[in-house]
Amino acid sequence: MADAVAVPQIQPFSPALRFLRVIPGVLLLAAIGYAGKLLEQNLGAYAKLHHWVFPNIEYVLWAILLGLLISNTIGVPEIFRTGVATYEFWLKAGIVLLGSRFLLGDILKLGGVSLLLVAIEIMGAIAFMTFLGRVFHLKPKLITLLAVGSAVCGVSAIIATKGAIDADDEDSSFSIAAILALGAFALFTFPLIGHALHLGDRAYGIWAGLAVDNTAEATAAGALYSDAAGKLAVLVKSTRNAMIGFVVLAYAIYWASQGQAKAVGNKAAFLWQKFPKFVLGFLLISVLATYQFFSKDQVGALANLSRWAFLLTFAGVGLRTNFRDMRKQGLRPFVVGAIGEVVIAGFTLALVVGAGKLLGW
Amino acid sequence: MSTEESEVQLKKPWRLSLDSWAVVVALLAALLVRAGAFKHIPW
Repeated sequence: MADAVAVPQIQPFSPALRFLRVIPGVLLLAAIGYAGKLLEQNLGAYAKLHHWVFPNIEYVLWAILLGLLISNTIGVPEIFRTGVATYEFWLKAGIVLLGSRFLLGDILKLGGVSLLLVAIEIMGAIAFMTFLGRVFHLKPKLITLLAVGSAVCGVSAIIATKGAIDADDEDSSFSIAAILALGAFALFTFPLIGHALHLGDRAYGIWAGLAVDNTAEATAAGALYSDAAGKLAVLVKSTRNAMIGFVVLAYAIYWASQGQAKAVGNKAAFLWQKFPKFVLGFLLISVLATYQFFSKDQVGALANLSRWAFLLTFAGVGLRTNFRDMRKQGLRPFVVGAIGEVVIAGFTLALVVGAGKLLGW
Repeated sequence: MSTEESEVQLKKPWRLSLDSWAVVVALLAALLVRAGAFKHIPW
């Protein structure tokens, strides 16, 4: 008998039941996000009424802080976890809807500049992280995962690369933990640095999109600065995301040539499989908005819908960040990631400031 | 029983990725807004 007898997988939940399992977590995301919005609206007014000195904290930060508080104290109960994991879905739907606020001309203009900056950032980040990983004697595939995670797009890139180069689960957990911890750190430090350096919305937004690794954190770091900076951070981050297939393909071919990964058959199919489809959705909505498929009021409605989707995302960013779990992953990959991220942040800041001076931003 | 008969080829059901679902849902929402199903979405 042939040894390749496939055993049918038992689906434990029907689609309807899977949908029901998502509801509690989505409600939790909505409740935390909305609480953040209420805190922003009411706390400032309350403090003013009572003559307190209280900083104006945006809903983005409140939602993240409330999520962090729950995740790192009582933890996220099992019943909510499936729904909380949908925050990536809301992020991507929000980005697609955000396309309505970009005219195609702006995308081409900014996209051209950001494409060049993204290409320089990816090459610089991969080269530096590879060098740093070798200095710290990390395992070669762990270096690859950290390099891809910091150069392209965080967790999605690490997961895509893990499958393509047959990396260990442990290596990918290390890399994901390092990228998430550093993303959480960037959320709080980037706006402070931006304000300290008096960066304009454009320069800050491009910098956040270039230097913050995970799409959710890049979106939040941009939105924490200003609405305009948030828009630009999403645009630049999406440009980085669009590169994921090419970088993963290059690594897959390299590791296959070393005999340590499966060879890539159809390269075009591989690229399509890895390409983030939400970038296409973002472009499509932007084309429709450019050709006035939507009225001005409808564009406003779509922009608000995008904000609601991001509200759920920001709550999810806080809820899935557990510092105790991150500590368990060990220090070395984190140190490599941290040094790498600081250097990449400095390098991309210099790139953005240089480009700004050259182009007169 | 022949080998061919005993081999059960399990075909994975075709599924949309999370990415694609996000695009489909966002586009549907945009079409509903365009069709006037939602006149105003508050923030």
